Amino acid sequence: MAGILKHLCDIDTPRVLVFGITGRQGKSRSRLMRGFGTEIVAGTTPGKGGQEVDGVPVYNTAAEAVAAHPDINSAVFFVPAGAIAGAAYDAMDAGIKFLVLTADGVATQDSIKIKEKAFETGAKCLGPNTVGMLDTDGYLFGLIGGKASWAKKNYLPGKVGVISRSGGLSQLLAAFHCRPELPGPKPDGSFGPLWGEDYPGLSAVLCVGGDPVPGITILDAARAFEADPRTEVMAIYAETGTTQENDLALAVKNGEIKKPIVVFLGGKFTEAGVAQSHAGAMIRNESETYSAKKAALEDAGVTVVDRPDSVFAATSEFIK
Amino acid sequence: MPALPEYKTRILLENHDVPLVPAVFHDAMPEILPEPVVFLKAQIPGATSRAGRGLVRRASTPDEIANGLRELLAEENCQGVLSAQAVDIKKEYYAACLLDFGDGENLPGGVILFSPDGGTGIEGRTSSLIKIKFSLLNPPSTDDIEKQLEGIPNSTELAEFLKKMTRTFIGYKLTVLETNPIAVLADGSHIAVDCRAEFEKHAVSRKNAELFKVPESSTSDSTPLEKAVEAINADDPAGTGFFRASREKAPEGTIAVATNLCGGGGKMLWEMTTGGRDDIFSLNESDTSGGLSGFKSYRILRAIMSQPEAQVLILTGSGMAFQNQYHLASAVWKALKESATPLPSLLRFGGTDQVKAMELLEQVSQSLPVKIRTFRPEIFPNAMVEHLSEIATDHRVQQKFTPEAGELAFEVKTPPARFIYHPDKNPDNIEPICVKECPTGFLLWENGRIVANPEAKCIGCLVCETVSILEGNGELTIELDLPGEVL
Repeated sequence: MAGILKHLCDIDTPRVLVFGITGRQGKSRSRLMRGFGTEIVAGTTPGKGGQEVDGVPVYNTAAEAVAAHPDINSAVFFVPAGAIAGAAYDAMDAGIKFLVLTADGVATQDSIKIKEKAFETGAKCLGPNTVGMLDTDGYLFGLIGGKASWAKKNYLPGKVGVISRSGGLSQLLAAFHCRPELPGPKPDGSFGPLWGEDYPGLSAVLCVGGDPVPGITILDAARAFEADPRTEVMAIYAETGTTQENDLALAVKNGEIKKPIVVFLGGKFTEAGVAQSHAGAMIRNESETYSAKKAALEDAGVTVVDRPDSVFAATSEFIK
Repeated sequence: MPALPEYKTRILLENHDVPLVPAVFHDAMPEILPEPVVFLKAQIPGATSRAGRGLVRRASTPDEIANGLRELLAEENCQGVLSAQAVDIKKEYYAACLLDFGDGENLPGGVILFSPDGGTGIEGRTSSLIKIKFSLLNPPSTDDIEKQLEGIPNSTELAEFLKKMTRTFIGYKLTVLETNPIAVLADGSHIAVDCRAEFEKHAVSRKNAELFKVPESSTSDSTPLEKAVEAINADDPAGTGFFRASREKAPEGTIAVATNLCGGGGKMLWEMTTGGRDDIFSLNESDTSGGLSGFKSYRILRAIMSQPEAQVLILTGSGMAFQNQYHLASAVWKALKESATPLPSLLRFGGTDQVKAMELLEQVSQSLPVKIRTFRPEIFPNAMVEHLSEIATDHRVQQKFTPEAGELAFEVKTPPARFIYHPDKNPDNIEPICVKECPTGFLLWENGRIVANPEAKCIGCLVCETVSILEGNGELTIELDLPGEVL
């Protein structure tokens, strides 16, 4: 079965180019990605072409790597924030269609330019400031999952599609749907196991990142899960700032998104104009407040919860 | 967002050939005074409504110029005075470049806001405002802009002026660039009379660092503990180590909580839990995440515990952290042992080695000077806080930790630490367990001494000290420096 990238950017099997593979993080994360099953074809670091990292060939540029390995269709970036725009252009110019930009602290102007370039080239960029994505079909990109053994134990195939603006909460929402006997508050007010051994499980988790200008948005991710036959329900961590939740609400309301959605909406006590730990959570106008987003989502028929442990009971209600 | 004062914004505009009113910057009383008539403008970063506050003055005589310069240079946080030549303005325009964040229908980009009626009251006036959206990747040409300026006199020259503004805005990756007013002179030319810029600190390139440097006194009212955490971040920059103390006192009858929140998700969970409660007062905001070392966790925990009003410590992340939880638990244990004012603690661990983390703290809990309670990640902060009142204290434990004397085995610089070997704890002179358990192979046992492996790297996990004490005989301890404000 094809994973979520089939529905996000028409990729059946991701074949990955790792930017910054010769750096400490690039090396270690590449090992973890491979340990989970991701097919890493090549790496790139300017000036280090010709080297190998754990048997993976390194090239100076994406163009060189794609020329040598035409099957490369996706890329993950372990490069500093200041270098991310140039590296992303390099990948998109080489024809790569799916990019995962993990860097935190990317200039907003660079995020916007990357988004413009992606629009021009037809590429999809997850991030910046994302922990990445994981599909239980057997691949992951970025920092998500930790050790392969830990990831394989925690993220198990199933029916929930997770989207999140927070790295930690993407992992939480994904992994907890895969825990047998997960305790939590039930709809009847009692507290106890929400399900037995037969946990709902995960189709895929996409962290859209915490920046003000995400590449792939919550709505883009929801469209992919809508098309993904494994996914029966979506669990989303959303928050104040940006128009992403409002755009999702509109798409649900106009019938474009039909699958049930449970949103854990953060930022109930966030004040307008105050910097948050996720830069994208800053409220710029009334429509970006907690109350406006909650109203828009609920009006569209989306289930909104304001306690994280209420998500799981709510999603399990929708699973056949 | 940090803001640049006018005299620095002028440099950005000059570098992109934007015409400016002639002006000279004085950071001290000049030997030769400028020729009248001039406008004297105090250059104070972040200052707004300068005219109303007397920070902009028209000076028509040498005496007025001398007195004005003297008085304005003495203003608090004043970096200098800009002496701008008075010009005969026939008309005023307003222009700004801003970021357009886009939405589900529209791509993001930049936008020029232009008003042919000048900038006075611009916030409340939208009817005459012209919005020209533009691409940051493919910036607009003069022609592109001129098409949007229908009916404005000398539109080609004005469009050229605005084009240069967009190049300045993009070239320095600004978030706001404002010229207010743009003056139209008798010959029809346009010049910027006043200007300001806002920027993101992380968008400033290394080569422009000096130009964008904003004095700390103008942007920071940091408390001593916040400065201590800034110092910790400076010598161990990997990972996020954010700490901000509340500027308010804990109200009577509330439980004053010191928080160590891990990651933006952890911070949001805590805010959602306590934002609507008036019986819990968070003494500080925090965020420790992004792969920080156990060494750094320990040092920031010590700062967090130093808050004198605190009655209890709460530590929680999202529940699926990146940081190895055993390393974090080792930092918590060390901080509780060594802090002069340890706090009773509610500790939630979730992520790799979460079980080992809880086992470690359960194993040592009886030896600690304060009560602790650990939580599995399935127990969320909204359930944790129900245990606050049973564990919070009105009487802080005071203790004095004296490190045992030993031999300095070696020091590491990043993350900074001193490794102290205690040969008296190893009378048989055999390889201690800390060497075997070092996860990166950084510790070696050579010729009866612990040495650093030059081929490996210390990740600051604290496992060596933890296993040395719990499973060995205390052969190795770690000394981590703390800024003086941390108890």
